[in-house]
Amino acid sequence: MEPARTMKGQAMAPSASYEGFSPALLRHGDPTSIEAQWGLRKLVVEQTETLRDDGTPVERPILHITASAVVKNPWIGRGTSSELVVSPQHIAARLSRLLADRILVLTHGPQAIEAFGKGAIIGEAGELEHGAAIMHTPYFASHLRTFFDGSAVISFSDTRGAPGEPLTIPLCEKQTGIHRDHYQSVRVRIPDAPLPDEIVLIAAISTGPRPFPRVGDRTTDLPLDTSLMNGVFE
Amino acid sequence: MKLRKILTHVEETLTEGGRAVTPAARVAVVAAVLDNPWAGQGFVEDLTPGIDAVADELGALLAKRVATALGTPIEAYGKAAIVGINGEIEHGSALIHTLQFGDHFRAIASATTLLPAVEKRAVAGAGFDIPLKHITDMKQRSHHQTIEVSFADAPHSDEILVALAAASQGRPQQRLRVFGTDFGADAAAAS
Repeated sequence: MEPARTMKGQAMAPSASYEGFSPALLRHGDPTSIEAQWGLRKLVVEQTETLRDDGTPVERPILHITASAVVKNPWIGRGTSSELVVSPQHIAARLSRLLADRILVLTHGPQAIEAFGKGAIIGEAGELEHGAAIMHTPYFASHLRTFFDGSAVISFSDTRGAPGEPLTIPLCEKQTGIHRDHYQSVRVRIPDAPLPDEIVLIAAISTGPRPFPRVGDRTTDLPLDTSLMNGVFE
Repeated sequence: MKLRKILTHVEETLTEGGRAVTPAARVAVVAAVLDNPWAGQGFVEDLTPGIDAVADELGALLAKRVATALGTPIEAYGKAAIVGINGEIEHGSALIHTLQFGDHFRAIASATTLLPAVEKRAVAGAGFDIPLKHITDMKQRSHHQTIEVSFADAPHSDEILVALAAASQGRPQQRLRVFGTDFGADAAAAS
């Protein structure tokens, strides 16, 4: 049974069951589809499974997964006062589903996802604001948060560049956002995107913390020892 | 075989040249990052023991993973060995240019041809291009294609990254003449 979803308004909670889950079908062959109208050129999924670090096996393999979509930027040449609130709603919602699906099928549902992030790489003819228009809208971010069963603000990064420009995306723990063990990053690079008139939208997750987290948390930090500061700031 | 990471990259191309590609063209790459079996040993004359210890298991693991990642029948394929900067390119070639490695992929893909390959020495994060060719006919021009990948943090200096690549179809919007017909009109007129 497929998780319940909606394309408008409040995101619906995904189904608890991922039995028989399969990603949303691509409808790009239909010229009236959102994929076709927004020129969705490519979807790229990359997974890193870490088994050992510094010679020591990790307790359980940790997955980092990124899902990226390459779409046309429709706002090129429209100037810096063009409308960016209403026009991206459909593509933002559609991408949230397509990207989340490609991650959820690998993690067998949202339970295994512990940290998340998002990102945008804007082709050189566009503005950073064009990526933000899709990435920071509730139609993208709120849906993504719901599909991944999280509640924290999703950490992000963005950049503008030529095809092959790498982007490093910070991840945060999906419920609190501030769990120190889960501060980590993933790198995305698509060799032939974004072209000057394209935007790459990215969703990213981790199924665990850093391989061997051992720097504690804000609840376990020792009180600042001011004697250690003597001379440090002089 | 000491694995540190297993990396998977799947691309779906939906549009090329402004036209829809239906079904979307899929290419999958799966890479294993493992300790170089000959690291720290100087020049090793006989690489056979290291090959025998690693190639078979590695070939089986990657073939299964890349077939799963692609999720469709395989029509074109290729392979790669990227050697960390302390090793010899020969170390990477040793692991991938043996039937113990490649036969697993040929079996899963129902393939008969040799696997085209890239071998090089590089730092972690370096990009590399894997050539792919048709699984039963290397002359099938529609299936000549290349996938570029790069993986952050791999391979380390004493590691080797070994990868397999698989494609669900030929190039998106492929429309070249079939091999052997380039001079078709002239040849027909001359004969």
